[in-house]
Amino acid sequence: MLLGIFSSTLVGAILAGWSCGLVGAFVVRLNLSSLGFTMSHAAFAGAALGLLLDWDPLLLASLFSLAVAGALGPAAERAKLEPNVIIGITFPLTMALGLIFLRFAPGTALSSTALGLLWGSVLGVTEMELLELAFLSGAMVVLIALFFKEFLAILLDMKLAREAGLNPRPFYYAILFLTGMTVALSLKLIGGLLVFALMINPAATAFQFLHDMKKIILFSPLIGAGAAALGLLGSFAFDLPVGSAIALVSTAGFGLAVALSPKRRRG
Amino acid sequence: MGTPVIELRGVTTIYEGERIPAIHEIDLVVERGEFLALIGPNGVGKTTLLETINGLLDHKAGAVRLFGLDVRREGHRLRRRIGYIPQAVSFPELTPFLVRDVVLMARFGRIGLIHRPRAADYRAVERALELVGSAALARRPIGKLSGGQQQKVMLARAMAKEPELLLLDEPFSNLDFVAREEIASTIVRLHEELGLTTLIVLHDLKGLPPCCQRVVLMRAGRIFRDGCPDEVLDPLILAAAYQ
Repeated sequence: MLLGIFSSTLVGAILAGWSCGLVGAFVVRLNLSSLGFTMSHAAFAGAALGLLLDWDPLLLASLFSLAVAGALGPAAERAKLEPNVIIGITFPLTMALGLIFLRFAPGTALSSTALGLLWGSVLGVTEMELLELAFLSGAMVVLIALFFKEFLAILLDMKLAREAGLNPRPFYYAILFLTGMTVALSLKLIGGLLVFALMINPAATAFQFLHDMKKIILFSPLIGAGAAALGLLGSFAFDLPVGSAIALVSTAGFGLAVALSPKRRRG
Repeated sequence: MGTPVIELRGVTTIYEGERIPAIHEIDLVVERGEFLALIGPNGVGKTTLLETINGLLDHKAGAVRLFGLDVRREGHRLRRRIGYIPQAVSFPELTPFLVRDVVLMARFGRIGLIHRPRAADYRAVERALELVGSAALARRPIGKLSGGQQQKVMLARAMAKEPELLLLDEPFSNLDFVAREEIASTIVRLHEELGLTTLIVLHDLKGLPPCCQRVVLMRAGRIFRDGCPDEVLDPLILAAAYQ
């Protein structure tokens, strides 16, 4: 039974790490960190509302996360809002909403389910949620492989992509959509406060060693999956919350990468 | 004379949220094989005109046609036939793209959705890098190159499209004398050897290449003078435009 929970959680962690790492390569390169941060907290607020209304938390987390992408994506794209302003306004709002929803959720106010939304939970990751994560990971790989050159072009520069005769907008919105979905589906396992770390750290680690965006897109999900698996093992070994353990491992990996990065060595 | 490469009739472009047009009722016809310099003081609309021509900026009034086709309708397709160097392109040191990929990306529009680059695309990239004398840089990260080398890569990027029209927006800005001379001579060579229709925006009039047959001088969003260099570069005319 315990082994069954562990193996399904391990699969979930690896899938979440893979998806977060993959989408993180795009988020870091496009400077969308503030948007990802906001999405993760919006997803937390949505899931908390789900608990309050006794609706599917994952569904509401996805909707909230995608609503942020839909509302703030165009604003960020047109640079009408500075990233700090986006965070400054939406982070307190989504956290406040999330905590209020939890306060009024039936049963114990800060139950383990509710707390799990904040910093992740090894328990209760259902088969269906694993399937959803697996489907998302697979769909992302297929989508990115199919339109690899279009995604690559907008990662270099949106204007140059247009100049090359591409229409970058649908691909930019696809990245926002995938980021929102990844955040929402990783929420239960990693937690709303920490899913952002799993998105940024693996990509930031890959950026320390690689000069080629194609390789960064390849390695970032591998680093994410590795950090998630190691973090999960650590959480079991030291009885830590899963999300916290994964965030610590991925941050340690990034710190090590900065220390060893050939890019930072002065010739 | 065949269909003009560039044809603008009464073109006005206004930036979003502004009331005063950046360019106003521009009429301009450029024939195949011409080398035309666009000059004028800062902020007169030179870059706006260039971006309106290739459809990166939408015009409010008038008609823009390239090779006889409407830019508003055929923008994506037309841009695949235009080599373009935007103003002040500079890649920061840690930009994670190799030179050959930056050049190859210029062909992504013509390759088409889902399709992968083919051998012909890679050959075009090699040729373009050789053309500007940068073949040795192909596997270097773009951010590690000097400003002059990056600008040559941008020229290779423009040439990788095997373009029928070259639009260059201040290609010599931020370059030292040596890099500037190198790029200027490469542009002139490309025009002379390939007969490429070229429109170059210049800030510094000393950079006017000898092969330039026509100069368009802008003032306050309008074309102030349009003629041969001797005519337009008259000190009195320049003084009136730059005052």
